[in-house]
Amino acid sequence: MSLLDITDLTVTYSTDSGTVHAVNDVSFSIDEGVNYGLAGESGSGKSTLAEAVLGLLPSNGSVESGSIEFQGRDLTGLSERERRDVLWEDIAYIPQSAMDSLDPVMSTGAQIRQAIQTHRNVTDDKARARVRELFEIVGLDPDRIDDYPHEFSGGMRQRVTIAMALALEPDLIIADEPTTGLDVIVQDKIIDKILEIQDRMDSSLLLITHEIGVIAETCDELSILYGGKAMEQGSVDNVLVNPTNPYTMGLKNSFPEIEEGDQDPVSIPGSPPNLSESPSACVFKDRCPFATEECEASHPDLVDLPNRNHRSACHHVTKAAQMRRDATDPETWGIPDSHDESDRGEVLLETDGLEKYYEQSQPLLEQLRGNDPNYVRAVDGVSLRVRRSEILGIAGESGCGKSTLGETIALLKQPTGGEFVFDGEPYEHYADGNMREFRRKVQIIFQDPFDSLNPRQTVRQLVGEPLTIHDYRTEERERAIIETLEKVGLTPARKFLDQYPHQLSGGQRQRVAVAKALVLDPDFLICDEPASMLDVSLKVNLLNLLRELADTEDIGIVYISHDLASLVQVSDRLAIMYLGRVIEEGDVESIAAEPKHPYTTSLLAAAPEKDPTVDRDRVLLDGEPPDPVDLPSGCVFAPRCPKAEDECRESEPGLDTVRSGEHRAACYFPDGETPAADDLADDRSGTYGDPEFSSPASGDSASD
Amino acid sequence: MSEFQRFLAKRLAISILLTLVAVSVIFVVLRLLPGSPFESLVTAGNLSQQQITEIRAMYGLDQPMWRQYLSYLQSILLFQFGYSILRSQPVWGVLAPRLVNTLILLVPALVTTAVLSSLLGMYVGWNRGSKLEKLSIIATTFLRSTPVFITGILFVIIFAYNLELVPAFGMRSISASPEGYVETFASLDFLHHYILPFTVSVLYYSGDFLLLARNGVVEKRGSEFLKLHRAKGLSEMQQLARAGRNSMLPILTYFALRLGMIFQGLILLEVVFGWPGIGRELVLAIQQQDYPLVQAAVFIMALAVIVANLVADVLYAYFDPTVSTSGGGAA
Ligand SMILES: Nc1ncnc2c1ncn2[C@@H]1O[C@H](COP(=O)(O)OP(=O)(O)OP(=O)(O)O)[C@@H](O)[C@H]1O
Ligand code: SF4
Ligand code: SF4
Ligand SMILES: [Mg+2]
Repeated sequence: MSLLDITDLTVTYSTDSGTVHAVNDVSFSIDEGVNYGLAGESGSGKSTLAEAVLGLLPSNGSVESGSIEFQGRDLTGLSERERRDVLWEDIAYIPQSAMDSLDPVMSTGAQIRQAIQTHRNVTDDKARARVRELFEIVGLDPDRIDDYPHEFSGGMRQRVTIAMALALEPDLIIADEPTTGLDVIVQDKIIDKILEIQDRMDSSLLLITHEIGVIAETCDELSILYGGKAMEQGSVDNVLVNPTNPYTMGLKNSFPEIEEGDQDPVSIPGSPPNLSESPSACVFKDRCPFATEECEASHPDLVDLPNRNHRSACHHVTKAAQMRRDATDPETWGIPDSHDESDRGEVLLETDGLEKYYEQSQPLLEQLRGNDPNYVRAVDGVSLRVRRSEILGIAGESGCGKSTLGETIALLKQPTGGEFVFDGEPYEHYADGNMREFRRKVQIIFQDPFDSLNPRQTVRQLVGEPLTIHDYRTEERERAIIETLEKVGLTPARKFLDQYPHQLSGGQRQRVAVAKALVLDPDFLICDEPASMLDVSLKVNLLNLLRELADTEDIGIVYISHDLASLVQVSDRLAIMYLGRVIEEGDVESIAAEPKHPYTTSLLAAAPEKDPTVDRDRVLLDGEPPDPVDLPSGCVFAPRCPKAEDECRESEPGLDTVRSGEHRAACYFPDGETPAADDLADDRSGTYGDPEFSSPASGDSASD
Repeated sequence: MSEFQRFLAKRLAISILLTLVAVSVIFVVLRLLPGSPFESLVTAGNLSQQQITEIRAMYGLDQPMWRQYLSYLQSILLFQFGYSILRSQPVWGVLAPRLVNTLILLVPALVTTAVLSSLLGMYVGWNRGSKLEKLSIIATTFLRSTPVFITGILFVIIFAYNLELVPAFGMRSISASPEGYVETFASLDFLHHYILPFTVSVLYYSGDFLLLARNGVVEKRGSEFLKLHRAKGLSEMQQLARAGRNSMLPILTYFALRLGMIFQGLILLEVVFGWPGIGRELVLAIQQQDYPLVQAAVFIMALAVIVANLVADVLYAYFDPTVSTSGGGAA
């Protein structure tokens, strides 16, 4: 008997503007000890499904029909009391956003203890001992169980929620996007931890994510959801290697892969379906390139494919092989194939040893004493060059200074040292009364393009606003706006002019945000994580758009992100940042193929692989970056570097330490080069650092 | 904990500074007022010029301003408030019983309302949209926004005059002549007089606490951490308790501030109910230009507010684990 059996589950939300059909007739079952993946883009109903299982639907959500059987009991029919007994004891939950899932005014240990003592009659001492044990299991310092959530970093908080989920050794753990919003390296560590523990406890896992790669690596079976419908399900090896449903094909294509750097990711154009009615046609038909009249008439049933653990809902499954071939071609999806390597032009922006230090706030007394304040060296001697029609990708973990660098080269922050030249003129030229000109030529697109649009302005006003401010092309305003909208792919432009942001889909809104930046015909564009909030297909749309702009409009682009896979897709050159410094720089192809700095190697290795047949060595980089105020001497990466030698700790390697052509790296013992004398070769492969999650140094008092 | 101590020291220093400022302002304002308490006595022909000079010397009023200021500072900060000019009785002897009368009425009222209204507020916030919620909000807003003497008079009319359940006026019946606090307050007669003003002040203060608590819980209700608490299997009441705990801070702070303001009494209420509290006394003293009395009363009130602010800050830092105790923020 399977552990969890979901049959024909339908969940709706009632809202002011009608009913939202979030989950429609979904069935699947999870066997004991199995990892089950649930994938699909944003809004496809993944979280709703999880909440229905847990009985955590908000008050306006209700299970319309269907059953959720857990160990033979129907969960939908339980009373509030009975359900409370099942929760956590049998089914635990790792929530989507660890950042705010912990009670801010209760110590982390007490929250876990509460979970234990709600269900088991144990003494405080015993519960505390268990919490210490759990902290140890998830790689947290057991002496910190009395710390409050805000004293932990995002990744550590996620570990606390994992520890909580493990507390009672449940039979099923439901993890809703446990790693979204975390850096690749942390994400990789967390996933690894979940797997390791779950393996040891032999519980089942329902893993929800929009990253197909994570599922490919961790799950045995999966369901792909779209518009609240299961489009395809079965064993991961079957579904992801040989997808039979056009939606799965699209989803898989839009997940960029580092190795295929030069192949354009193919996104699924269009926006998610309208859920206000229960589906009568195939939910995917509006975006499906293979849709026919038959698809219009009814939503296809899930049918078993012969001889395999594989089901697909498509009227045209029989043509799966043909569709698969066509799906890899962007033109199938109506995306023009535009990949002509244009020559890169003159150097547009150049910095030499650029610095941005922040003074740390000091206690009053220290200030009175006149002690020198400490500095946070957010950007510490960065030298870059960006040419026209070139995209320079800047990658690094959170906190490495990427955003500060972006804002400093946009001159939104004053550099505290180093040289800065834009378009042949130095920083002083712009600071000395020419800032307006600079502001027109250089545009910056921030993290969340959605929030940056005023909901009460029409597209015309939104895009026209910069023209007014800069008094640019004011006499042909309308034309400028329309041209720009067409440039970003909002055609026919006239149709959009009078719409408000809420009338546009996510992807369209994002294009409006880009249009706002482009309407002034800038020479230079700085994008700071413009896609981090977007799901895969919207993200790919944006990447393609930027690539096209660089190629056709001759502008230089700096693209800042922690998502190395997207960076590899879109950039010509990459700069890898660590603690305010660029530690490796070069052409994308050469960095992706032969990273030289051990840090780059681990970043690359941390990106998940969407092909389930490929085995990847997981990277487990030790610890977190050191405090940027109190940096170690020598190579700043040495404390986490698996190859660090005494030499590394003595003096800091410059970016020119290794150099082959354009490719440079700051490391004494670069990867991929056979070291002359020392035998470092076997250190290269395999895992970095301690395979057990390394815990922060905890001294002798670790155990009681 | 040294960071906390630093924070404490800083706040303390600020409070002391504020006290000095307040004391000086009182001094200046009172000297700027036209007329003097003796004028009325002189015009009434009770005092000769000779006697006035002597009395002025006795009160130190013939000294230069800065000396007056210094000796004023010295004595007021040592809580030596001197003699009331009109009552020829130590100021403290006049004020202390009034202050006690006020506090014995308002402190229990404030505590009661803080506990009850906050609990009610949390409950209605949790059951958002219920009839009880609307009703309680309307009722408390009404009570909060009508001047307290109107509610007071209404209650007096209903409960004292029409129903004749309780006396309308005073703190003890006229025939009682108790000695000392214990005799005054530990009696049924006192309780009888107490109920009505107590109830009115409970109602008067209830609105703010109710709204604070309700808004806090409403805001927390959809939060992710409550969802996790729910997933853990906590009962509805336990979840509500967590939501309540998470909205405690503003309530606590507000309580501390209110507690400070209580030292001013509720003048209108004291007048309506004939309660011999400090608020009424202050009004009288101002009318009669009884400097020492006014000085002392105002000083006590200011001090209470300053101390309450300090306490609020410290409570906040203590109860909110995320507040950075070294952080700046307005004093
Ligand atoms: N409380 C709610 N009231 C009304 N509609 C809701 C509510 N919660 C979710 N929805 C709608 O239900 C649909 C499914 O949402 P759900 O949160 O399950 O998506 P998801 O797949 O988890 O997406 P994501 O990847 O962004 O987390 C969406 O159209 C969403 O707008
Ligand atoms: S049923 Fe038709 S529209 Fe739906 S996925 Fe298959 S081909 Fe596309
Ligand atoms: S210089 Fe040394 S410590 Fe730094 S990255 Fe290279 S090997 Fe590691
Ligand atoms: Mg979700």
